[in-house]
Amino acid sequence: MSSLLQVSNITKRFQGLVAVNDLSLTMEHRTIHALIGPNGAGKTTTINLITGVTPLTSGEVQLDGKTISGLPTFQVARSGIGRTFQNIKVFPSMTLLENVMVGGHEIAPMGILKGLFNMRGAQKEEKLLKEKAEQILDYIGMYKWKDELMENLPYGRQKISELARALMTGPKLILLDEPAAGLNPSERSELVKVIMKVYEDGTDFFLIEHNMDVIMKISSKITVLNFGSKIAEGTPKEIQNNDEVIKAYLGRKYQAQSQN
Amino acid sequence: MTKSNITKLAGIVLLSIFMLLVPVFVKNDYYMLVINRLLINIVIVLGLNFITGLTGQMNLGTAGIFALGAYTSALLSKNLGISPWLGMLAAVCMGLLIGVGLGFPSLRIKGVYLSLTTIGFAEVVRLLCANLNDVTGGTQGLRQIPPFSVFGFKFNTQQSVYYLFLVIALIAFFIACRITYSKWGRVFKSLRDNVEAVEMCGVNIASVKIKAFTLAAVFGSIGGSMYAHYMGYMNPSTFNTDLSANFVIMLMVGGIGSVVGNVVGAVIVTALPEVLRFLGTYYQLVFATIIVLGAIFLPNGWGDGIRRLYRWIRKKCVGQKTQEGGAENE
Amino acid sequence: MPPSHRFGGEAYNDDPHVEKECKPMLAILIQLLVSGIALGFIYALVGIEYTLVWNSTGLLNFSHDKLITLGAYIFGGTLVLGLGLNSWLSVIIAMIVSGIVGALVASTIFNPLRNMRSTIFAVMGTIMLGRILYEATRLIWGPIPFTVPNWLTGNVIIHDISITKANLYICVVSIVVVACLQTFLTFTKTGKAMRCVAQNKKAAALMGINVSQNICITTGISSIICCIIGMLIIPLFNIDVNMASMIGLKGFSAGVIGGFGYMPGAILGGLIIGIVENLSVAVLPAVYKDVVSFVLLILFLLVRPGGILGKKA
Repeated sequence: MSSLLQVSNITKRFQGLVAVNDLSLTMEHRTIHALIGPNGAGKTTTINLITGVTPLTSGEVQLDGKTISGLPTFQVARSGIGRTFQNIKVFPSMTLLENVMVGGHEIAPMGILKGLFNMRGAQKEEKLLKEKAEQILDYIGMYKWKDELMENLPYGRQKISELARALMTGPKLILLDEPAAGLNPSERSELVKVIMKVYEDGTDFFLIEHNMDVIMKISSKITVLNFGSKIAEGTPKEIQNNDEVIKAYLGRKYQAQSQN
Repeated sequence: MTKSNITKLAGIVLLSIFMLLVPVFVKNDYYMLVINRLLINIVIVLGLNFITGLTGQMNLGTAGIFALGAYTSALLSKNLGISPWLGMLAAVCMGLLIGVGLGFPSLRIKGVYLSLTTIGFAEVVRLLCANLNDVTGGTQGLRQIPPFSVFGFKFNTQQSVYYLFLVIALIAFFIACRITYSKWGRVFKSLRDNVEAVEMCGVNIASVKIKAFTLAAVFGSIGGSMYAHYMGYMNPSTFNTDLSANFVIMLMVGGIGSVVGNVVGAVIVTALPEVLRFLGTYYQLVFATIIVLGAIFLPNGWGDGIRRLYRWIRKKCVGQKTQEGGAENE
Repeated sequence: MPPSHRFGGEAYNDDPHVEKECKPMLAILIQLLVSGIALGFIYALVGIEYTLVWNSTGLLNFSHDKLITLGAYIFGGTLVLGLGLNSWLSVIIAMIVSGIVGALVASTIFNPLRNMRSTIFAVMGTIMLGRILYEATRLIWGPIPFTVPNWLTGNVIIHDISITKANLYICVVSIVVVACLQTFLTFTKTGKAMRCVAQNKKAAALMGINVSQNICITTGISSIICCIIGMLIIPLFNIDVNMASMIGLKGFSAGVIGGFGYMPGAILGGLIIGIVENLSVAVLPAVYKDVVSFVLLILFLLVRPGGILGKKA
């Protein structure tokens, strides 16, 4: 069986600048794969390349053996990838429940005209969508805020709600772009709990993160990027003791910790 | 049945009786004209709400849509002698075409650029209508457009047209409600807030935007067709940028995105000039000033302003009551 | 309903080049070219004037054509014909008054509007401001068109080519205005502050620039340019409440075609529209002259939204 996500030799050039250089990585089923590296290493660009937000200069991306590179973003999403954003992208003028329900727009198949004429069907569909959204909100522990306007929720809640929205389509893989950035310690530990819960129920994660506590706690494999190229790959333990990674990114602290 | 349901039902019954009785009370033909124009405006604003209100794409080309709908319907029924209803159907097809034609640019063009594109579109339409003398009658306008008729009954009095338009407007209102408060309305609204996030939910942005534009264009074209067969005469100078702006004002006054708000906005903006007529030559000036002040101080629409005022007053009253109650307890 | 023919093409009937027919083709072409360049400079000035406001407030000033009209009315209606002042003195007073009007508009309407969440309010605010100005003009000076006698009239004849003085004045004055504006923006402290505000309002505010005040100054300058445009076009179109409607819209096209928010772009775009639409008369029926610039506008927006000189799409 093929691996879940297969990134082969992807390169992205912005005019002269090489943002991602010949990067290959393989993500197996039932893993949490982390991508780390200093600022400007090309991590978010990599996610944008996988999701088709920015077009590839060269290379190929496969999901479950099917090529997804070259597809427009919405089709990448439909093929089973969900995503959250580094700077939250929510719909501030809508309620939390509506935000999550937008995530399920595509799983409800009715078109505008059909929805107009088949009133009963449209109502049923809407009810299903609402139930599913409520179920997911309950699942991640945000049900009690479902009727709050998004802009009134604290930053951390908004961030976790993006995960709920991504879950609506029932994706195989969710890409998290710095999920813990800007969260306070208690929100962060709640986030880790939610991620682990979702993971155990069958969704795999690919994440970018700067917070090493989170990374080391949850990831099964880590890829390290620097200046757009892969400099190391391995289990958290291996990465903590990799000299090059320590020099480029981690610093001495994490090596010391792991030796203790 | 709960109490709120009963009040709601009573409200609807009262409102429908009121709407049915309007021609009985309004004997003045001029006021009936204003009311019928209001019904046309309601249809157009309900359409505009999809694109400008919900999706947040600034469309200043409604006059162009309106004109194309009106001319399509009028020319077909006048020159080919087909029924105005078929003319209206043709106008709907025209709306579909315009929707796709305007929707595609909107995929690449955003914000102010889109406003300029739509203005350019409306101006081209208006200039063509004014200059293609052989087809459209040019600046002289188009005369003797046949009125709507059903089985030989001609809708040529203000009262009969009122009932016809009331039915059309109610259908339009119903459709607008159904779409706005369905998953489509939700996805339109989410596009206004954040495009990338919607796309990542697997939604084809292009198709959704074009759908919103098409809805607006179809409603606008139907409005145009209603206008043409109702007035019986039209002139290209009607379809200018001021007209487009008026529709956006209705949207703005009623509160962006709300269907009931659209109707309220259309009523206010259509009725206000009549109310202000006692000001004589100053009424346009006062009207424009009121709208500007509204834009600055009531950014969520006048309805919201009234609601806030109501809440504030109630809070004051309730606050006093609880204070009094507290005093009694002591 | 507002008065009809707001954006009508009727104003073009007294264009200087229409009546000449028995001239050699080349002479006609040259005349068309000259009037095209002159109109192009007008569009360029319009482009500059609204680009100034756009850069400093982020608002597209849909009321600019009414400010142009207002300038012409103040100059022609009140100062020259009403008070009988000397033309050149009137020019200066009209510019000062327009500047004050612009600053007032900025402080009362543009400043509150620019922070609105939805662009719809900003756009509608400026459109309604335009209506207020329109109605005010109509109420103060009346709806009947008039003109200022002996203002920029007469012809210059070289061989058999006759060029109206108005066109020459337009070209010269436009170049002077552009040069003055450029000098002002480059070398004065206020000008530099204006450029800062245009690029980053927050940073400018942190550097101690009073952004609101700066916007007032910018809008004032923009309004002065509007007034100059208004005075220049008096010989082309009569003084009329709708005299600038077409020019206003085509000024937007000029900005988009050249490169939005970029002044050299506005000049280039203005010249292109002026020349193309005037030369189109040689090929197409004259009534389609106005359509040409809007078709150009839509084409550019579709194919190259950044304009010819624009950096990003």
